[in-house]
Amino acid sequence: MFIIKNRYITIYHRLFHLDDRLLLIVAGSIAGICSGLAAVALRLSLESVLEWLHPLRHYWWAFTLPAIGALLSSLYLEKITREGAGHGVPEVIYSVSRYGGLLRFRSSYSRLISSFLTIGSGGSAGPEAPVVMSGSAIGSNIAKFLGLNDRQRITLVGCGTAGAIASIFNAPIAGLVFSIEVLLGEWKFVNIIPIAIAAVAGAQVSQAIIPEQVLFIHQPFDIMFADIPASLGLAILTALVSVLFTKSLRQVGNLAKKNSLPLWGRAIIGGSCVGLIGISMPLVLGEGYHFIQSMISETFSMGIFLTFVAIFAKIFATAMTLGWGGSGGIFAPCLLIGSLTGIVFHKTLLLFFPSVGCASQGAYALLGMTGLISGVMQAPLTGIFLIVEITGGYEAILPLILVSSISSTMSQYLEPASFYFKELMERGQFMRPGTDARILSDLSLKELIDINYVKVSENMVFRDFINILKRSEQNLFPVIEDETRVYKGVIQISVIRKYALDPDMYDMVFLNQIMDTEVITVSLEDDLQDVLDMMDSHNMDNIPVVENERFIGMIAKTKILDLYRRELIVQTDIK
Amino acid sequence: MELSVFDLSKYLGVVPETIERWVRQGKLPVSQKGVNYRFHTSELQKWAGKHNIYLNLSDKRKPEKGRESIIPLSCAVENGGINFDVQGNDVKSVLEASIKRISKIPDDFKQDLLDRLVKREQALSTGIGNGIAIPHPREQLRYLHDSIVSISFLVNPVDYKALDSKPVSILFFILCPALKIHLHLLSALSFCLRNNKFQGFLNSRPDPDQLIEKIEILQKTNPI
Repeated sequence: MFIIKNRYITIYHRLFHLDDRLLLIVAGSIAGICSGLAAVALRLSLESVLEWLHPLRHYWWAFTLPAIGALLSSLYLEKITREGAGHGVPEVIYSVSRYGGLLRFRSSYSRLISSFLTIGSGGSAGPEAPVVMSGSAIGSNIAKFLGLNDRQRITLVGCGTAGAIASIFNAPIAGLVFSIEVLLGEWKFVNIIPIAIAAVAGAQVSQAIIPEQVLFIHQPFDIMFADIPASLGLAILTALVSVLFTKSLRQVGNLAKKNSLPLWGRAIIGGSCVGLIGISMPLVLGEGYHFIQSMISETFSMGIFLTFVAIFAKIFATAMTLGWGGSGGIFAPCLLIGSLTGIVFHKTLLLFFPSVGCASQGAYALLGMTGLISGVMQAPLTGIFLIVEITGGYEAILPLILVSSISSTMSQYLEPASFYFKELMERGQFMRPGTDARILSDLSLKELIDINYVKVSENMVFRDFINILKRSEQNLFPVIEDETRVYKGVIQISVIRKYALDPDMYDMVFLNQIMDTEVITVSLEDDLQDVLDMMDSHNMDNIPVVENERFIGMIAKTKILDLYRRELIVQTDIK
Repeated sequence: MELSVFDLSKYLGVVPETIERWVRQGKLPVSQKGVNYRFHTSELQKWAGKHNIYLNLSDKRKPEKGRESIIPLSCAVENGGINFDVQGNDVKSVLEASIKRISKIPDDFKQDLLDRLVKREQALSTGIGNGIAIPHPREQLRYLHDSIVSISFLVNPVDYKALDSKPVSILFFILCPALKIHLHLLSALSFCLRNNKFQGFLNSRPDPDQLIEKIEILQKTNPI
């Protein structure tokens, strides 16, 4: 390892120092290959465990299988790796926006194992978010190994994500688009090329290892004229289902947090519920790729009513799995719910207009998937490109764009934050590059504080203070106690001006009598956003910083503006 | 509720021109376009929440604090009262005798107040010259309801270590529940005492009513 690192340092200085784009492309493709391998490994192991567990499904106690899986997965995450449950995508987004994409090494395998336990045993969740987490952690750790800076690390996190998505769906463009649209949030030239290469590398890895088993077999579709108005109706339906899905995921999750059950108890309850639904409706179990494939290739044989019920069953099962302790993502459930919605719509359409000339049921399943992905993740481009790549052609591009854009716009109207961002927004951690929140969070009070303030004693006579005032340009004087040097208050020149011009007062007053003790103070740990809010609501231009009762310095609005502007220039003006 | 450009500019702390530019650039939700823009409060709240802007539509500007609690010097003198023929031969005894006669101070606090006043005199004499001293504590007296200024005329002039070393025969006690009023009263008093006619008037030991009337007239000429 040490030799490799030394070698690398030599190469780095010879070759990459000239242009870090070359370095990012090389490192990005490595990240893409590694995360592609991780994704393939999860997919293959899921397939084999499903096969292995298949004979057990006929026993009466089969419904406990998801419970055992969820139990093991939550215990593994909680006790062994000490990472919170859930799908991990918000954590990656937060890390990208706040800590330059810094992720722990153990994140690169922990979610793979926990989601393998959850999904393999029948829990209703998708393997995509875990591979995104693991791919981004791989990218982040490659960047750490190479000693790259934050900006380059973020690019590599994007590369890992793109490789993982590209590999699991065999869809390089979807990987690229997802990585940029959902994870990084900015379309910058320096990012796009390495991420595109990583996505291609990831897709190639999956093709090389499992060449005959592409996830969804390509299907050509004939889109008729009647499909255009029909897709409008489908878009509205998928938007409603998306909002329902997002809301129930959150509601059921909140319900789990409210009760006082221990973690393992929650996992058992959640898993058993999923298992019980699975007895009558095996479609809800696992990631459901098999059923999606059957819907696309039109071998799906459920009736219209059962399909309609299946939508809700799948939504509920997914919410129970993810909210009550299981581990996994919502990508695959979105695809399954979307295709179910598409089929329900297609069947209803044929029921009312039996003679209408529209595309096949499989095409509507795909359109439904686009609608759900665009609606739930509010990532319309990811929805379009994923389906375009799955179908392997652009025949359906017009209805795809229609469904995707209408569904994402409508669901955004009903539910302003997407599923991935909602959590972050509630915690005030949603900071896209180049936004106000991001800049404010990057600036710390330590950078803004002005510590060159003359402090005065509270026992000083006014006359002595006037002498200091004559020679000073300060408008605010912090007052401290003599021996302990504890902060007592602030003298504001604007307030005492009329007394300062009255010589009769000079010997009558001590400084503790003219200081303002009610001025609000902040400490160095406070967020700049909160400090600015305080200044706004109290009409202050300067705010004292007090730490452990000691005066540290002042934060001035003028200084904030100065630094804010520089920060904005630095953050947004990278070629 | 609907707001005009002018109202909104007050709430947001920007000039109306800025509001108009934001509307033109499509950055603000506007409910009625044309000559007079109108804004819906509910839409504005939503917009402010989305952009992380501090917007408080309930009150326009906070009232200037402290203005209403400041009382004129004449009222404070009326509160405190004027005492003649106060006995005593040194600083401590005249202070003690005066405090005893100020009815507004609760009995329990009289000893404490005396200690504070003596301590203040030890730190720096409050004798401002021409036979006048302004004893006051350095801390605020939270147990008082009103600010009081009490005047004591001494029987015997006392050596007060005043600035001009003259013995002191008139004491102005300034006792306040808050420091801000204290400063105000101190400044108002020093303005009156700067007036030579008022000095002569004081030395004639006038009637309390006349004295208060005189202060009232004087403080009207005070520019502050």
